[in-house]
Amino acid sequence: MAKVLIPTPLRQYADKRDSVEIEGRTVGEVLEALTSQYAELRRHLFNDEGKLRNFVNIYVNDEDIRYLAKEATPVEAGDTLSIVPSIAGGRDGF
Amino acid sequence: MIRIEPQAWEEMVAHARATYPNECCGAMLGRVDNGDKIVQLALRLENAYEGEQRNRYEVRPEDLLVAERRARREGLELVGIFHSHPDADAYFSETDLKNSCPWYSFVVLSVKGGEVDHARSFLPNAEQTGAVEEELIYPR
Repeated sequence: MAKVLIPTPLRQYADKRDSVEIEGRTVGEVLEALTSQYAELRRHLFNDEGKLRNFVNIYVNDEDIRYLAKEATPVEAGDTLSIVPSIAGGRDGF
Repeated sequence: MIRIEPQAWEEMVAHARATYPNECCGAMLGRVDNGDKIVQLALRLENAYEGEQRNRYEVRPEDLLVAERRARREGLELVGIFHSHPDADAYFSETDLKNSCPWYSFVVLSVKGGEVDHARSFLPNAEQTGAVEEELIYPR
């Protein structure tokens, strides 16, 4: 079982839990199981094409899966998955 | 509604002043009471944008992960992100919108001539196509 940490604003879609223990051999499998168990989470993490929203980053322990094998990244029992958004911006022009 | 407590606000202002004329960014930690967000702790984050920082900021996801872990450790919640607009008003720009996330409040501080002038808070949608303003209460 891996532990998925649920960010505060998404806990309302996960029975108000701050973390969920989920089975899965890869990040993709864990996310699939997570969003099957908590269906409302799906639209917050995935877009209409079923891809992770572009601002959603997934970390396995301290590693960003973009630099591993993305959603095929293996997950071991005891691993912790974190959902972390990309955030940037700035005033336009000078 | 989002309310920023004095100590957190002072930290946000100090960060915005220290980074002027560049943009600053940071995380806001606190609690949520009946849908109202109370910011009790502001954490300075490094502006990771590689390039001109007078009109851009970027939060490193790893830094946000650290902020999120600290919130959990201290029994707080990550409720928002703040950044500054040097010598510009506190509006939610096209760049802000295109690089936003709908999960958090986005507080923008207008800094004019090195001093914080005013602030506003915004809630972007999931498609990054629009943001609504939310009521912001902060010390003045």
